[in-house]
This record gives sequence, structure tokens and C-alpha cells, in this order.
Amino acid sequence: MALWLDEQIWGHRIHPQSPWLIFLECLTVAEYFHRKGTLLDEQGSYYPLVFHPLRRMHLRNILWNNDVIKDLENERADSNTNWTTWLAWMNENAQNLNDNDFSYLKPRFEKFSDFAFLVGMLRDASVEGESNKRWTSRFVFPFGASAIYEDATLDGKRDYVNFTRTGELLYLMLCRSASAPELRPYLTHFLAGDNQWNKLLQVLEKAPEENGVERKHSYLPYKAHPSFDRLGEDWLRLFELRLPNFDVLNHLVTMGAFHVMLYHLQVAAAWRGKKERITFLCEVVAPKKTLVRELSVINFQENNSLSGEAIQAYLTQITSSDDWLAAMQLRTQQDQYSKCVEILKKEIWWDIEEYEGAEDPAQLLEFIRDKAQHRHQQHAGEVHRSYGRLVGLVSRRATTKFRYAPTDSFLKTLIFANVPQRMELKEFFHLLFERYGLVFSEREAKQVIEEEDYESKPFAANAARLEARLSSLGLLRRLSDGCAYIINPHGLE
Amino acid sequence: MIQPAGSPATKAAPGRNKDQAHNWIRFVRKYGPIPANDSAFEEHTGKAARRAGVAPITFLHPRFAEVLGCLTGQQMLSVILTGTAGDGKTHLCGKVWEALQGDATTWASNNPYINQVLPSGATLHVIRDLSAWVPQQGAEWNQAERELLETFSRSLFETSTTDYFLIAANDGQLIETWRRLPDSEAVNKARSRFEQLLVEDLESLPDVALRFFNLSRGSSAELFDFAIQAFIDHPGWQSCFEGEMGESVAFGDKSPIRRNFELLQEPQLRQRLRDLLELCDYNDLHIPIREILALLVNAVLGHPTCNKDNLMVPTDVAKIIQQGTVAQASIYNNIFGGNLRESRRESIGVFNYLDRFRLGHETTNRIDGILIFGEADEALKEYYDAYLGNDPFYGADASYRLAQSNYVESAEEDNSNSDFLDMLVTQRRALFFKIPASEAQELHLWELTVFRYAGEYLEKVVRTISPPGVGNGKVERAIINRLVRGLNRVIVGMLITDDRKLFLGTSLQSTGAKVSRIYEDAISVNPSRGERVDVVWNGNKPALKVTMNESISESFKLNLVRYEFLSRVAEGALPSSFSRECYEDVLSFKSRLLTALKKRRLQEGVEEDNTLSFQRLRLDESGRPENITIQLNIPA
Repeated sequence: MALWLDEQIWGHRIHPQSPWLIFLECLTVAEYFHRKGTLLDEQGSYYPLVFHPLRRMHLRNILWNNDVIKDLENERADSNTNWTTWLAWMNENAQNLNDNDFSYLKPRFEKFSDFAFLVGMLRDASVEGESNKRWTSRFVFPFGASAIYEDATLDGKRDYVNFTRTGELLYLMLCRSASAPELRPYLTHFLAGDNQWNKLLQVLEKAPEENGVERKHSYLPYKAHPSFDRLGEDWLRLFELRLPNFDVLNHLVTMGAFHVMLYHLQVAAAWRGKKERITFLCEVVAPKKTLVRELSVINFQENNSLSGEAIQAYLTQITSSDDWLAAMQLRTQQDQYSKCVEILKKEIWWDIEEYEGAEDPAQLLEFIRDKAQHRHQQHAGEVHRSYGRLVGLVSRRATTKFRYAPTDSFLKTLIFANVPQRMELKEFFHLLFERYGLVFSEREAKQVIEEEDYESKPFAANAARLEARLSSLGLLRRLSDGCAYIINPHGLE
Repeated sequence: MIQPAGSPATKAAPGRNKDQAHNWIRFVRKYGPIPANDSAFEEHTGKAARRAGVAPITFLHPRFAEVLGCLTGQQMLSVILTGTAGDGKTHLCGKVWEALQGDATTWASNNPYINQVLPSGATLHVIRDLSAWVPQQGAEWNQAERELLETFSRSLFETSTTDYFLIAANDGQLIETWRRLPDSEAVNKARSRFEQLLVEDLESLPDVALRFFNLSRGSSAELFDFAIQAFIDHPGWQSCFEGEMGESVAFGDKSPIRRNFELLQEPQLRQRLRDLLELCDYNDLHIPIREILALLVNAVLGHPTCNKDNLMVPTDVAKIIQQGTVAQASIYNNIFGGNLRESRRESIGVFNYLDRFRLGHETTNRIDGILIFGEADEALKEYYDAYLGNDPFYGADASYRLAQSNYVESAEEDNSNSDFLDMLVTQRRALFFKIPASEAQELHLWELTVFRYAGEYLEKVVRTISPPGVGNGKVERAIINRLVRGLNRVIVGMLITDDRKLFLGTSLQSTGAKVSRIYEDAISVNPSRGERVDVVWNGNKPALKVTMNESISESFKLNLVRYEFLSRVAEGALPSSFSRECYEDVLSFKSRLLTALKKRRLQEGVEEDNTLSFQRLRLDESGRPENITIQLNIPA
């Protein structure tokens, strides 16, 4: 362990990861506790989180390690011949299994072409299927518990490249949200997967898997946090809409990652001692450069530097502790240095072996600060930008710099989670501001922008552009004279 | 002279006549295309009319009788009039006040709140301008005002009351006022009812003693009929065109003002213009009375080089004739605000909406052939003469011929052609109004707009089935089949050729997926076992109605944009300009159809058996869908 610092602030671990993969990783934990009957319930013990995710290697070989199936479907040979060819191919090529026998499938389907068609459908429904990943890191759409399995390397081991553990943190956040009890039945129903596609996945499995491999070590430092509660509330309201098919999942995915990002920023701000709330000046993309865009770029940069500043604040806290101050009172520099090393070892589990500088506390500290910052920038420091982009909040569209410029689908998710039926547009702006710190219109902008930088017109135009965009998406009903209502087309009657 | 005998005008000296005519033009310009969001417009025109010694342009609002009916008779109801600026709310209040024998001086006081005791002993409270009456944003409520609105809110939910209200307010002001009122049960309840009435386009609710007139939901085409009649019949015009003024340069035979005024009275031009406004109605684009009047004033007086507001005054005419720029006063161009600067045009709703037809910018080879080569081409000459050659005002004048010959002879990328291209825009617009109905089909009249199917939509759909119950109008099968084919292609995401059934398909995870390869069901278009698809009248516009059985059906409102979209998709081309919004609309309709289908399965008690099966949807070689059942054996 090189350093244990980011982990003390945010947990083990918060890393860049795509929102869908965070969600799927979270489901691997949920699936286990669903199996055990203690879904979203830590039962009073906050650490460790021990679970046994499944691997479903038969299914995954069929779906992802099986390019030959497409050729066979097109060959138009008779069914038996195709089965024979395919089974032989699998026998040769399937991986990470104790036995490569897939003949159990044949009696389950009438024709090989039926099998091939359905496998094709499932493959098309892959999550993030476009990216060119190793086959062991490809995921089928989560139709239910039977679609949930853990990421693996090509030789079937666990690594932390795609599933970085942030999904495990998401699971813990949900457990610790005030809405956990109300979320439980919805999540249970979803995992139970009473639908034909989930059942089809069971048909493709040779036999139910016994138990997975033990996983533990993820760690979330806070028993409660306002962002956990808001996450839970948003998920709950999305579930309550009872959207058709699996439409709710996309919104859960977006909201999940968005709240992890908010948690990341809010915790950073707290450690850094920032008093003002975190806000996001959102540009509704304009054809030309506007004041909103300029301010949003600055606002993005400020928010983006928060987490790095939190790291430094954490170190400052150590160096102003009584122990450290006492160490600095020791007689020789040698003694001071040894004591400081000891403190750092204890506080941040630092491994001294990599240090080659002089035995001087000041130099040592400088080294640590650099090292911590560097390490942070590579992983946790990327969360705000990376998650922001992937959920559709942050964009570089029409510019070279990042700023907040929400996409249609992100806006849709916000509406679904916050407008049960309909809501006056101004009220909606107010709510987005209070709840998430999102700023669109002049009323909110005025509250967060320094007076000398503020102009109302560009923000009014910004709000008007949003109005027009939502209207074209069928999410807004415009009445006359600046009066408009956000409409949730799936709203509760 | 139609002036009544003995009226001052008949005896007046020539100078007096001229004053009258000029006063009228000066006054009528006040209705012109000035972006005024002025809530005191009514008051200002009243004053200006008195100064000019003319009567304002007025007509009785089509809903007057209904509003008055609420405030008279046995079963009285309070009334709220909402709508956008220029919808005639204040004017309507005034007419009701007058009809109820309200005191004229009280009305003239311009006090936003007035009241009177009705013969029945009840009190009628009139708030003719809510925003002028409530305290400014941030100011405290005055006790009396607060109590009055509280009384009103309570009266809505009481069975008997002696206080009746007539309140005029813009939608936003209404909601904002009730939001700012101190909370009380009645106030909160009233606000949520107002929201519902506004958002759901309702005029009344069962538990609320109120009639709610949203004047922005009325038909602009109907308002147009009233407005143009009142405009043309106004005696002010007589002072211009009759008697000796009628022989003056400003108003004589060669005057574009006179020409435009005459053209405005031609039935075909009026009808085509009305068609455009009616189509705006069906696209949910509302045009208030004030903007209709602005359009009319601009149509008659527009000229791009005149004055700051691009409207002619009588003294401009001599110069215009002399300089040979009469053609620039073309009513055909003025109707679209072509005489106005772009920023001005864009700021006025009606021109903005008319611009969406892209009239003048859309065209066909045939039309442009007539316009550009018609004079020299034997086959086209006949049309050229009829539409350009024989129109001494707005046809092919000297400047047009010059620009045309330069255009034909110049190199392709010559910038000097832009003048001619602008002229072409105006001429295409003119053709839209000139081509007679008998040639409309042959010359593809509606292809001069972006809505190629608009003519069919009006004639064969709207006017065939509305108003419902009159006659037995039915939309042609061929049209319904085309719409269904369009729907099929969007819903399934494949180039289906079948139009006798509406196909419902799904994909795996999301309703919004582009291609559906799983078959759910197909609904017969022709009536069969309770299923059918037809086009019916639904409230204020046509709708495609899909009936699944006698108790389950879903409707898709067919505004013009959706009609055009489905028709074009059925033809095989996806017009990108308005496709996104429509695409989303169709997908949400699909989602409703799937929910309805689920309901029907439940009703019919289709049992979810234990076998696992899938219906595969694919097209055969000729584009006809086929569904294949895949049955699975579940391991024990």
C-alpha cells in the first residue's frame, strides 16, 4: 500500500468508471444480498462488506466468446449440422470453464437458428457494447439477477480496471440512505426478473452457479451523508414512475453516477473548509459564446480543483496536529524526521521505502504533498470531470474548455426524478438549484454570481433556450407570457 | 361616396377630406407591426382614435355571448379570461361591462378594479387587468386586495355566493398572483385548479364554480374572419379611396396602397391567407387579434424603403411611383413581413409562425421554370402571362426583367444575382396566392410550402370530418393507410410496406430503441373483430384513433407537422427539419399503444403460461412483416 489518503476522505475507492459499469458493479453486490435475503441492509455492521458475486462463465462464453454463431446463422445449413459445428467449436474455444460441453442447450431449443437469433438479440442488448473490450468484460443488459456477474480478466481473475469498486460504494450509499427500506421492494422486484429475457438467460446457463468468490475490502467512511439520502430519494421516485419495460434503468444509472459525483465534490468542499455551497452554472448550448458559457468554464475549473485542495487540507491537518508539532520540538533534525515518518506511517499508511530525499521534515513533507497530489490526480481527481461528462452534465461542445452544458437525456432524467406530474418552470429551476446546485435562470444565477460579473439578460436567454429545448422534447407545455410547465409524460395520474 | 348624407365629410372642403384620409392612415399605422407588449394598448388606441377623430377597429369577440351568459341569468358563474397580450381580454371585459349597463365613466376611469351591483343584488367585481392591480413584485399586499382575492378563491368552492368576478389576466400573471398570495386553503386549492385548467386546456371543472376562457386557445382563423371584415369595412378607408381623394396620387389607380387594399378583398387571397392561419391553429400556434391586425396593416401599407417602420404614408406614394419601386410594396411579400427588417420580423409572432411555411423559399422546378424562363418558353408562356405578365403592379416589371435576363446570362456564382433571388422569393409568394384552385393540383401549389400535404390535410381531412356530426365525412382509406405505413416504419424501425395492419413491436431493453425485432401484435386497419384504425375529430384537431376493442383505444393527435411527418416517412423520406420532435412523439404514442395492448391481454385473460416463447419480427423480401414463434423448453 503506497498511500491511504483519498480513501480516508472518500472511501475505498472512488475512481473514474463509466456510469453503467458503476451500476452493474453495484448490482453484483445487490444480487448477492438479494440471494441472502438482506438486500440494502448492513445489519448494523458498517465494515467489512463481504459478498460473493457470481461469474456465469457458461453464459458469458455463449454471449461474448462466440463469434462463430453469427456465421452459422447465415449459413442456412440444417439445424443438426449447425449444432454439431457449433458444439465442436465451443469445445475447442470456450475458456475459463471446467468443462466445455454445451450440449445441454440443444434439447432446450427447437432449432439452431432460434438459438442463434435469441443470442443475437441478447448480444445487441449489451451494455456499452460498442467499445472494443476483452470478452470477459462485456456485459449483457441487466434484465434481472440472472444477468448479473462480476468483471474478469481474460484468464478469469478479478482486476479493478472496469469494476473499480466505486459501484460497491454506490451500493453502500444506497444502504445508508434514508430511503433504503422503501427502495428494497423495488430493487427486489427488479432483481427477481420475472420477464422472459431474464428467464432466457437461465435457459442458457448449464446449471445454477453455487456461490461466487469472496470479495471484501470496500469501505465507505461515512455512516450517513445528505447526498446518500438524495440519491435514495431520486432512485425511489424513478422507480415509482413505473416506466414501461426497462426504461427506468437508464435513469438509475445516470442518477447513481451523478450522486457519486456530488458526494465527491461535497466531501471535498467540506475537507477544504469551503463554506459556500457547490453550484453548477449550466449553459443551455447557444450558437455563440455567451456570458453563461464564460462563467461556466470558470465555475467548472473551480469545482474541479476542489478535491485536490481537499487532499492538501488533509495533509495540513496532520502537520498541525499535536503529535506533529511535538515532533517538531524534538532536539535533532534526525529525531524530528523519524518521528514525522512514524506519524505519516500511522496516519496515511505511507511506505517510506520510496523516499530518497534528505532526512529533513520539510523536504519530506514537500515530497508527500507532491506524491499525494499526483496520485490523486490520476484517479479520484478525475471523478468530477469524468462522471460529469458521462452523465451528460459536462461538455466541451463548441469550445475547447470544459463547462456545464447538460444533454437532453440528462435533463430528462432530472425531470423524471423531480416532477411527479407537472411543475411550473420557475419552480423547477428553484428546485434544481436547491437540490443539486444546478443554475439555469437569472433568479438563481443572481444568488451565486458576484455582482460585478452578473448580468441578467444572458441567463434569461439561457432559460429561454432550455424552455424551447424541453418543449421540443415534449417535456414542457408553454402557456402565454413567460408561463410554462414542465410535464412528466409518465407522470402519476 | 357611401358617406351618409349630411355627414360633415360631404360638405367639407377638399383640405378637410385630405386631412381625414391622412389621419386615418396615421391612426391605422398604430395597429401595425410594432413589437408592443403593451397591456394598455386598448387604452392608447382609444386615445389616439379620439385625437384622430376616427373610430377604433372593433368587432365583437366570438366568445362574447358565452362570457355574458355566465354573468346573467339564473345560474351565474364567475369568469376568468386568460390569454396572451393582444387577445382582446380588456376589450371583452369592456363589452361585458357595457352590456350589463355598467357606468361608462367608471369604465373610462381606467381603474384596473371596478365593480357594480347587478339587478339581482349580487356584486360583480371586474378586474380588467390583474397585473396592474396586484402589488408590484416585492411589495406588500394591500389588505383590501388580498381579501378580495381570498373572497374570490373561497367563492369558487361555495355553493351560494353574492360575489361574482370577471378577471382578465395573462396566464403567467394569474399563476404568479396566486403563488404570491398568502397561503390559505382556498387560495392553494384555487391555484392548483387554475394550473389544471391552463395546462389541460379545460374550461371548467366539476367542483369549481368558474368558467375559464383561455382566449389563446381559440381559432385564429375564426378571429381572422372577424378582423379582416372589420378592417375592410372601416369607414376610414372610404375617406381614402372615394371621391376626389380616390383620384389623388396617394390613393388613385396607380397607388400600391389602393392596390393592396383591393387585393385584400379578393376571395382567393383571403382564403389562402386564412388557410395559412388555420394551419397555424392546427400546429398549436396561436395568433392573437392584435397581431392579425398588424398583419393586415402591414399587408396594405408595407414597403421596405419607407420610414422607420417600413410602412407607407400617403405622401410616400408619389415618390414610389416615380422611382419605379411599386413592386416592392407587394402585398404578397408584405403578408410575410418581407418589407420588415429581419430583427423586427422575428420579434412578431405572426410573421415568425408564417415563416415556418418557408413560403418563397420552397419551390418546384416547374414553378421556377415559369418564373425564370416562362416568357421565352412556349409551353410555360401561358402561365407566365397569367401570373406575371398581366400583373402591372407586382408582376414582371422593368426591374424584374432586367434582373432576370442578367441572371440567365450570368455565371453561376455571380453575387449580383442576389437581387433576383430576392425577387424570386416575392414572386413565389405571389404565385401561392394567384394560382387558382383549378390549377392547384397541377402546379403542386402546396409544394411552395414546406408542408406538401397541407392542402390535402385541410381539404380531405380537416374539412371532411369537422365539425363532427355534420354530414358523414370519412377520411379516404388511402390516406389512413399511408399514415399507418408511416407509423409502422417508425414503430418497428424497418421499411415496412404493409399498411393494412398497424404493427406493434418491441426491442429488448428500452421503448425508445430504433429497431423492434420482437413482434407484439398487429391491429387491423379495416374494422375486424373490434379492431380498427381511423381518423376522427378530437377536440380541436384530427386524430388517428387506434381501437383495440370496444373499451380500449388510443389516439394520436394529428397536427399538421405530424401529418406531414408520417406522410413523408410513408413515402420513404425522412425530412430532418421537423423529424426529431415528431419521432419522439410517435415513440411516446408507441409506448401508450403497448400499455393499451397489455391492458387488452389482461382483459382477455390471456394466461401467462409456463412455456417460454418469443415472436420474432422480420420483413420478407417485399417488405411485408412476418412473425415467427420461437418456443423454448425450460429445463426442470
